Order: sequence, then structure tokens, then C-alpha cells
Amino acid sequence: MNKRILIVDDSFYMRTMLKNMLTDAGYEVVGEAANGAQALEMATSTEPDLITLDVILPDNTGLDVLKSLRQLQPSAKVVMCSAVGQEVIVTEAIENGALAYIVKPFSEEKVLEIVGAALQNNSPEQAA
Amino acid sequence: MKTRDQEYRELFMAEALEYYDSMSRHLSELERNPDAGPALNELFRLMHNLKANARAMGFNDLGEVAHHLETLFGLIRDQERAFSGPLIKVVFAGVDALGNMIRAVGANQPLPDATALLENLDRLVRGEAPVLEEVDAPDSEEEANKKMELSDLVYIQVKKLDNLLNLVGELVIDRDRIMTLAQELDNPALLATAQHLFRISDDLQYSVMDARLVGVGVLLNKFPRVVRDVASAEDKEVELTLSGQDVQIDRNILQIITDALLHLVRNAVSHGLETTAQRQQAGKPTVGQLTLSALTERDDVLIQVRDDGRGIDTEAVRRKAVERGLVSAGAAAQLDEKAVWAFLFEPGFSMAQKVTDISGRGVGLDVVKLALDSLGGQLRVESELGAGTTFTLVLPTSIAVKGALLVEVEERPYAVPLLHTDTVLSLHPGQISVVGGVLVTHFQEQSVPLVPLRQLLYDEGDGPLPLATRADIVGPQQVLVVNYNNRRLGLVVDRFIRQQNIVIKPLSKPLDTIDLFGGVTLLGSGQVCLVLDVPALTRLFLNKRP
Repeated sequence: MNKRILIVDDSFYMRTMLKNMLTDAGYEVVGEAANGAQALEMATSTEPDLITLDVILPDNTGLDVLKSLRQLQPSAKVVMCSAVGQEVIVTEAIENGALAYIVKPFSEEKVLEIVGAALQNNSPEQAA
Repeated sequence: MKTRDQEYRELFMAEALEYYDSMSRHLSELERNPDAGPALNELFRLMHNLKANARAMGFNDLGEVAHHLETLFGLIRDQERAFSGPLIKVVFAGVDALGNMIRAVGANQPLPDATALLENLDRLVRGEAPVLEEVDAPDSEEEANKKMELSDLVYIQVKKLDNLLNLVGELVIDRDRIMTLAQELDNPALLATAQHLFRISDDLQYSVMDARLVGVGVLLNKFPRVVRDVASAEDKEVELTLSGQDVQIDRNILQIITDALLHLVRNAVSHGLETTAQRQQAGKPTVGQLTLSALTERDDVLIQVRDDGRGIDTEAVRRKAVERGLVSAGAAAQLDEKAVWAFLFEPGFSMAQKVTDISGRGVGLDVVKLALDSLGGQLRVESELGAGTTFTLVLPTSIAVKGALLVEVEERPYAVPLLHTDTVLSLHPGQISVVGGVLVTHFQEQSVPLVPLRQLLYDEGDGPLPLATRADIVGPQQVLVVNYNNRRLGLVVDRFIRQQNIVIKPLSKPLDTIDLFGGVTLLGSGQVCLVLDVPALTRLFLNKRP
């Protein structure tokens, strides 16, 4: 079965680009959330295999969303997305259970490589 | 892919302009209240997004300015810098520069230089004082005329466009009426005005139709995923090629054919294309080729689904049609392959599992046919056993206006959509023969049955048509050859009136149950003209032929 992915990013442009890259590669994008509240709601309703999470979101920091996600859907793997300049948050995110991070602007190869590797990894705790 | 790049660019622009507007708003708020936390957070976030998006698009200078501003707003948020003094001036200049750069991107112009601004932002980040140029007092008039920028894109509900199109349809009918009146009254001033009205409403009509057009790509681009899924479920190797994504078509037409196209594509992968083993055995390349292409042909849009699979087994379909009692064995033997393939679109024909397995075709193809009939479109099939099958959907570009041929029967006009007409013939009695009580002529090496349109329209009851005899043919016969599902039928009419574009209005209740008529149109003379439904007429003829 195709792996199911939830995209969390507050930019429609970014979501569209990520979604195209992932669906073209055969993943199923089960939802697109534009803020933290939507992300938590969709993560519960769609139970994705993997979540791409933007570190900077409007109603919440990405980090708080990450912590809630880890509690709500411990089985879902989380990959952080961030533009350069937010390395501090990214480090903290990895400490809080995110498996990897993608730096914007990203290439299709990089996204697929990181997402593929994260999905292969069955025990997120070890990666932290 | 070109279309996708365009899509990204449009999304980027729409979002960037939105960000820019929000930035300006939050800056004003911050100026009033330098401690406004939410405004600061928003500015930080918007800069961050603009930076990331600009870099993804390759607009690095724009990304650089946003990056510097993001850093600065991060410092202000963490209270390492204060939103006061010269910093405010530089920040406003920075946001102005972003606006100019975004507009330059939109206008395809080179981005303005931002070196001095970047240096000042660097100084502020380092905690140094910025170097401010002596600026003349702003010209108050210029300030007042400062442009307000709104996005160039408007999202609109299809419902609103439908309404607009309906109104234009009404307008065009009245226009034709006024034009005819002007000609009758022969008043030069009125005629000139009517002609002007004619041109304007024509432009209006095409503008509204144009606003409803979308690229076929919005539908085609969904198929790589579908093909991959079906292929992996069937354990087949399939390579999908798309072309013609930029071909324009009415959005509602695309909506109506979505399921039909999905059906054809799934069918092509699961039944048309062979398994890898079968392909190797047949000496074909292991990877099956599937092509989805759109092209424009005259006023129509063609969407083709082509596979290089096993092709249609015509003999198997012929046997099945006889088994199912759709045709007698004798008649079936006479049918050419296109006529045989037409059985594939008979309702329920496909349900026969056996045919599906042997021929590899026919799962619910009648659904495809129905969708096309509702649009006044056509479905063409080309197939070669062992080499593959091509289904071609012939679609109108727009639902509003159709080219039609006006014919007259018993002094009443009828319109026949051009999409279904092959040709008009004027036949003398010697060119017509009688076969089994049906009039027949030869056209392009094919026997074409002829039937007086009068009989189909006016003869009541479900009984068969009267047997035709040579005595029925008196003088030259005007014949309109229509084509539906690869079957030709000659309609004998009293006379041809002319060809014209018509606006078809659906029949209202209770008349909408009469399926012989696809709708109604008003002619310039004010006369009501029924639009004939060729698929229904063909079916009626096949049911009633003696």
C-alpha cells in the first residue's frame, strides 16, 4: 500500500510543490494543513504514516505542534521543513522526536531521499 | 513541465502579493504599538515564508532581502533590538523594496538593485547605525498616488460563470431577433445599431466562454498517479506519456468527462495492456506504453487514450453480440469491424465477463458513451489486434454555442448539431435502392440506410416503420448523413436552410422527457427551432427499422 503523508505548511505554494513531488513519487497525500490546529485535527482523522512539518506556523510554533503530534500519533513519523536560519528550532525538533529535516529551498531528489529514509526507519526514538 | 512551472509562478505571485499586503498592515500596527507581539510574530513568519518561496523559485535577491528582514524581526521579537528610530525607516524601505521586487517578478522585469538596503539591514543586525541617505521631503501628491496593488488573479465560483453564460445566451437570441427586425424594417440607422450590437454581443459571448476555459492539463496531470496505482495493482509495467496539457476547454466539460476518462485509462491499463510475461511472449517491449493526449481539431477538442496493448478481438465481440441477441448471426457477419466495436458501448454489453477476458475490452464503456452523448460529443475507436487501441473523445470546446445545420421538414425548421453530421447529399432516384424494405444509398464505399426524417418525428406508435418501396422516391432527395457511434444514417429532409451557430436551451418540463430533442433554440426570425438529438434518432431508427 502507498505510504500516506500529511503536509503541514502555511504557504500554499510550498504545500502545492511538496504535494506534487510526493504524489508524483507515488505517495498518497492525505491532507494539507495550513496551521497547527488543522495539523493536529488532520493527524488524528487521517492517521498518516508521515508528516512533513514546517517549523514556523501562524497560530503556534512548529515545535509545539510537534510535541502534541508525538503524543497524539506516536506512530507517525515527522520530518521538519525549514528554510535556513532556523537551525536552533530544528535541533530542538530532532530532540523532540522529529526524524529528519528538509531545508528549503529543497530539490525533489532531496525531499524523496529524506522522506524515503524516514519511512524506512521503524523506531523514531532511536533516531532522536 | 511547462504548465506546472506556470502554475508555481502564479501561486508564488498570488501568495507573495498577499504576504506583502499583510506585511504593510502589520508594520503600520507596529508603528502605532511597538510592543505588538502578534504583529511581530506575523512579520517574522511572512518574511520567512517569502524567503523560502522566493528561493525555491530562484528569485535569490528577493529571498535575500526577506532573509535579512526576517533576521531583524527575530531580533526585535527577542527584544535585542527596538522598533524605533532609524530602524523603522530602514524596515519600511525594506518592505517597499520587497513590493517592488514582487511586482518586477510579476512583470517579468529584472529585480531592482538592493545592495544599499542589504548593507543597512546588515548594520542593524550587527547593532550599528544605518547610513541614511538624505531624502527629499516626500512629494505629497506622489505619496497620495502611490499605487495600491491587488492580486491579478480572481477566484470565481463556476456557478457565477454559469449564470453569466446563460444571460449571454439570452442576449444572443434577442440580438438575432433585433437583427432580423432591422432587416425587415429596412431602416439604415436601426440596421447599423443592430450590426454594432451584433459585434459587441459576439465579443461578449466569446469573452465569457474564454473565462470558463481551463487547460486540459488540470485533469491530465492527475493521471500519473492513477496509472501507477492500477499498474502496480495489476503488476504491470506501464509508461505514461502526457501531451497537450495546454489545450483549452470549458471547465464544465472537463468535469463531465472526468469519470469517463478515468474509466478509459483504468480499462487500458488493466485490460488493454498485457502482463510483462505476455508482452515478452508476443515479442513486444516489456514496458507498456500509454499515451494521454489532447489536441484541437477545428472547433473541437480531442482527448485520446492510446495503448500499445493487445487490441480489440473483433471476432470475439462479434460472437458475443450474436450470443446476446443484439444482432442476428447473418447480419453480424456482414458488419465491418467499426460497426462491431460499436457493440462495446451497448449498455450492459460489458458485463459479460467472458468477452472482457477474451477481448480485453468493455467494462462499462456505455458509461463513457453516455457522458459524451450528454455533451454532444463523439467517441471514436481505432484498434489493431496485437498492436493496441486508441479511444478518442471528440468534445466541443464550449457548451454554449454549437455549429448546427438547419433543415426543414413540413415547413418546420430543425437544427442538427454539426458534430454529428457527415455530409449533405442530393440524390437522384437512380442512386437509391431498396433492400429489405429500407432505402439504401452508397456513400464512400459504405451502405447508408436512408429514412425520411418525417417518419421518425411524426409517425406515432412503437411499431416498425412502413416498408419502403421504389414508389416512395419521387424526384431528387435531400439527404443529411449523420454519424453516431460509427453508424451512418441518412435523414431525408424537405430542404436545407443554412448552417449557423446556435445557442441551445434545454427543454423545460414536461417536454424534457422527449429524448429525440436535445433542446430548443430561437432563430433570428423569432421562430422556435427544435434541436435534434442524433444519438436518440439513430437508436429510434434501429428499433423501428422494418
